[in-house]
Amino acid sequence: MRSIILSLILALVPVLHLAAEEFHVDKDRDNKVKFISDAPIEEFEGVTDYIDGYVYYEGGDLTNSSALYFEVDLNSIDTGIGLRNRHMRENYLETDKKNYRFTHYNGKIIEATPSGEGTYDVVTEGNLFIHGQTNKVQIRGTMHQENSHYHIHAEFEVKLSDYKIKIPSVMFYKIDENMQLILDFYVKEHQE
Amino acid sequence: MVIKIFPLLIILAVSTLYGQPDINWEREQPTAKTALHLFHSKQVVNFPTSETLKSGEFEYEISHRFLPAIDGENVMFGIDGPAHIRMALAYAITDRMMINLGRSNASDNIDLRVKYRLWEKDHSLLPLSVAARAGGAWSTEVINRDKSDSKNIQYYGQAIFNTLIKKKVGIGVVPSYLYNSHIYCQETQDSFTLGSYIQVYLTSMLSIYAETNTTISGWRQYHNPVSLGIELETGGHFFKIFVGNSSHLNPSQYLAGADKKFGSYTRLGFNITRILTF
Repeated sequence: MRSIILSLILALVPVLHLAAEEFHVDKDRDNKVKFISDAPIEEFEGVTDYIDGYVYYEGGDLTNSSALYFEVDLNSIDTGIGLRNRHMRENYLETDKKNYRFTHYNGKIIEATPSGEGTYDVVTEGNLFIHGQTNKVQIRGTMHQENSHYHIHAEFEVKLSDYKIKIPSVMFYKIDENMQLILDFYVKEHQE
Repeated sequence: MVIKIFPLLIILAVSTLYGQPDINWEREQPTAKTALHLFHSKQVVNFPTSETLKSGEFEYEISHRFLPAIDGENVMFGIDGPAHIRMALAYAITDRMMINLGRSNASDNIDLRVKYRLWEKDHSLLPLSVAARAGGAWSTEVINRDKSDSKNIQYYGQAIFNTLIKKKVGIGVVPSYLYNSHIYCQETQDSFTLGSYIQVYLTSMLSIYAETNTTISGWRQYHNPVSLGIELETGGHFFKIFVGNSSHLNPSQYLAGADKKFGSYTRLGFNITRILTF
């Protein structure tokens, strides 16, 4: 009897999720996460391709039961100078502290407006975690569908003091309090 | 008991399935590995650490060793000079190998050296890294002989062992060999020495250190060199200010010992390095 109930339930599961669509970051594509520090004297940027996560929605509608989660390995960011990478990791982002290594954004799509063929302007809302601090933010971006992929692009600013990241003013390289972030990456449909 | 609970579990499982999306994504093991770095700077005072520049980076160095003693009369702690000066440019060919070309005005000594990082092992208590350095030097201002004389050439080799305890206390030992320790000796001299240093990182920017070189065998000037100082680390710069008894900067010269006794005739010196990228 029990095994019959169980198989019934198991049979139901795919039905329940027939319309669910889940996309994972496609690591074979040219993904890029970049921050730009545009201080008066010195501009520099940090780049990584290490982004992972998913977008989920149901019934072909980006906002329906949507969920998204993306994370970036901060240890992988390269600013072009070895010593600056080390300072960034050890002194400012403190990536050796528990859970600090990954910054992540956990939220959902609240608006999706078609803006071209297969392209949507999306507004997402969620929690952005950096350096042990979580802030509720809205991030805008575009999602462009190409077959079983989405090409996702987003640009936004992060204020360092919102995340308790302290940069000593005596440091010889100047760092902008407002970091400009540019994300450009691909997700592909997850096949079970 | 198990049978009674079982339907309940199923109901729970089903309600969970209805309640929130069933996400299949899982984090993969992070693949980004950061290289192990122990000391912050590429050298302490005169002795090298196992650290190297990142591939493609340059580092410019300007260093002084003021010759008068810090307690000398009318010399402003020695900075009125004269001084031995070294200028050098280093370049990293790979993340593990760097070359360095420098010149000191002491005997107009031109120094070319290579440092290679051989091995490292991360460990919570005792991380270790090992590097090797080898170089040659040519003294171009010599007395009573032609500067192309082969006696003006010196060679040296060093093995560098580093650890960093609790990310605060860096310790290094650097067994060194110097060939042709004294360029004016009739018979070619050589020296085996044991360099050692300790550096304590007080804050992310400030550290203090001590360095010495003990001659084990072979030729040496009157005393073993000793240096004590502070280091300020700011972005791409290292500023080091220290006191010591040696007046030399290039390895083929300072490995041969110091002319003065630490404590009774102590000099001021500084090293400034700047990382450059193009």
